[in-house]
Amino acid sequence: MHNTWLIIQREYLERVRSKAFLIFTILVPALMFGLIILPSKLMMMKSAGTHHVVVVSADKDLAQRVVSEITAEKKKEDRTSARSEDQLIAPKYTATVETDLSDSTRAQLNQRIDSDGLDGYLWLTPDVGSTRKVTYYTKNSSDFFETETMRAAVRVALTRSALANSGVKDDEVRDLLKPVSIDTLRVEKGKVSKSGGMLAFLLPMMLMMMIYMTVIIYGVAVMRSVIEEKTSRVMEVLLSSVTAKELMAGKILGVGAVGLTQMLIWVGTGAILGSGVVAAAREMMKDVHLPLAIMVAFPVFFVLGYLLYSSMYAALGAMVNSDEEAQQMQWPVVMPLIACAVFASAVIRQPASPLAFWLSLFPLTSPIIMFVRICVQVPPAWQIALSVGLLVGTIYGMVWLCSRIYRVGILMYGKRPTLPEILKWIKYA
Amino acid sequence: MSSILDLKEVSKSYDEFKAVDGLSITIPQGSVFGLLGPNGAGKTSSIRMMIGITVPDSGEVSLFGEGFRREHLSQVGYLPEERGLYKRMKIGEVLILFARLKGVSEAEAKRRCKLWLERLELEKWTNSKVEELSKGMQQKVQFIAAILHDPEFLILDEPFSGLDPENSMELKNILLEQKKAGKTILFSTHRMDTVEKLCDSICLVNQGRSVLQGDLKKIKSGYGRSSIQMEYEGAVDFLTDTSLIQSSNNYGNYVEMKMQPGVDAQKLLARAMQTAQIRRFELVEPSLEQIFIDTVKASKVVANHA
Repeated sequence: MHNTWLIIQREYLERVRSKAFLIFTILVPALMFGLIILPSKLMMMKSAGTHHVVVVSADKDLAQRVVSEITAEKKKEDRTSARSEDQLIAPKYTATVETDLSDSTRAQLNQRIDSDGLDGYLWLTPDVGSTRKVTYYTKNSSDFFETETMRAAVRVALTRSALANSGVKDDEVRDLLKPVSIDTLRVEKGKVSKSGGMLAFLLPMMLMMMIYMTVIIYGVAVMRSVIEEKTSRVMEVLLSSVTAKELMAGKILGVGAVGLTQMLIWVGTGAILGSGVVAAAREMMKDVHLPLAIMVAFPVFFVLGYLLYSSMYAALGAMVNSDEEAQQMQWPVVMPLIACAVFASAVIRQPASPLAFWLSLFPLTSPIIMFVRICVQVPPAWQIALSVGLLVGTIYGMVWLCSRIYRVGILMYGKRPTLPEILKWIKYA
Repeated sequence: MSSILDLKEVSKSYDEFKAVDGLSITIPQGSVFGLLGPNGAGKTSSIRMMIGITVPDSGEVSLFGEGFRREHLSQVGYLPEERGLYKRMKIGEVLILFARLKGVSEAEAKRRCKLWLERLELEKWTNSKVEELSKGMQQKVQFIAAILHDPEFLILDEPFSGLDPENSMELKNILLEQKKAGKTILFSTHRMDTVEKLCDSICLVNQGRSVLQGDLKKIKSGYGRSSIQMEYEGAVDFLTDTSLIQSSNNYGNYVEMKMQPGVDAQKLLARAMQTAQIRRFELVEPSLEQIFIDTVKASKVVANHA
């Protein structure tokens, strides 16, 4: 116990004191901040601008309707899309009408786009009512939000004028075309709670990525540390004082503690940011609620997943002689993790599907998939219990197996072992 | 005198390869013991079993007169042949870690660490990282790591390799002090000259088996004064004459040779004087190196005929 504690201390201090830890700890939240907060800030700044477009149509009435659609201030409840970022970057529009569909108009408009700050023009041919095809000429053809705005404006304008032509009154038309808003509420154990649509998808995804990344990063850290002790031959000195089991346990726990420390720092920072210091973060987190189930499940499944994978990585490190060799032999360990990342979005959308059910029971994928299921829709208690039970049992078996491979492997140098040789190591008393 | 270490018929195989084959060794307390043998003879494998890094397939290991228990390891210091230190740790930290793993308290480890670093003139490197040190300095640090917990039993695998003469001398003095203090020392090496002056008894291993074992003086006198050390200038073609010479080790202007039984040394001298200028001609006990070479050769012949 004393020895394991000393090994834990060494592994922990060496890592926490290293520059890499400091950089990584600061860089990840900084990147997250940069990737999420900054672009939305920048886009909000951009939205202050005004775009000027020209609507070209022989039908002056229709053209006026299109113009009023384009320039209409979109109110919050009129949002037709759930994606809040659309709103952030939508500019204000001014629009004018042009009724002459001649080539000279077109040439003139093209020139104005080049020189006169015109952002684009809509070209409505007279048969647009039947072909329902228009062309939007613009400086920036990749701004699909703007294209979407134009498309919607023409569609609504066509509907309005068709309805008006068939004698429907204007205020009736307005009611008919009002968008329908939808609220998605989450029902759980008879209780109804609010849950932001897109964020309800993004949050489990983010938390899942956090488990996935830290399990890989710290699993690999365990492996590299084993390889380092092997190649620097510290192993032999250590083994004259501690047992291979104490060494492996100390290493896994020490590195794991570093992982937990890092997460605590991140979560702590996140909590401070989320508590309102940064307004943008508060806005983002507004619709997010973190049920107790997730708060408990997150550390539990991280620790279980880490224990399972780090013991495999420790055994892998003991088998090989160099980082390069380890790279080549990593895939059996990494495959199930990658499968988790691939299937995660399917599981989030259909958390009760057979795929989700089996992946959340299979011990190599359950640390991540069961956690994702708990985030989305808490599965029946027996499933969680079975999943955790299987996982703990597997960890027990895996640690036993890996410690045997480790014990023999750390003293083996030279050629890479074959599978039959590894099986022999396991049997070897 | 009680024994510090007992190996009884210990064997160890790796796959098909028998690294150690029925080896028995007894090391009395307070003695300096040499475990000698060519590369791959099973020296390191034997040592690993002595300190519980590996478990023998068969046979028994006793430390301090009792069956092997891990608690005994706090009284054993080990300098492995392949030196190993954490490269990115500071010298002081790595030494204190190793001492604490042997059960020394942190404060005591710090105190001893300072003393040893001063003695081996490394004190100004205390806060340097291991990787910043030269090979020779790392060797010294490794040696301190083996001795810092003041063990009763020191196991040194090739302790002098890579040390300059001055440091070798310092190391030898430390070992003599340790011996005086009643500590037991096991040397494992294939370099005979360093061991010859230090060891009380030896065990010569080859292909995992003991081929020669016992008190060094007795072994040497058992060989009798049939060996000759000769310094010369000129040709010594008579060395190949098997009617006179059993074996020889020629260094160019210095040769060690063993006469065939019954050969008169005077006749040999006369023969040598015909072709060479003789500066020194001495009948001596064979050097350990000579014994080593002869014995290994003989055991190889036996092995080949078996």
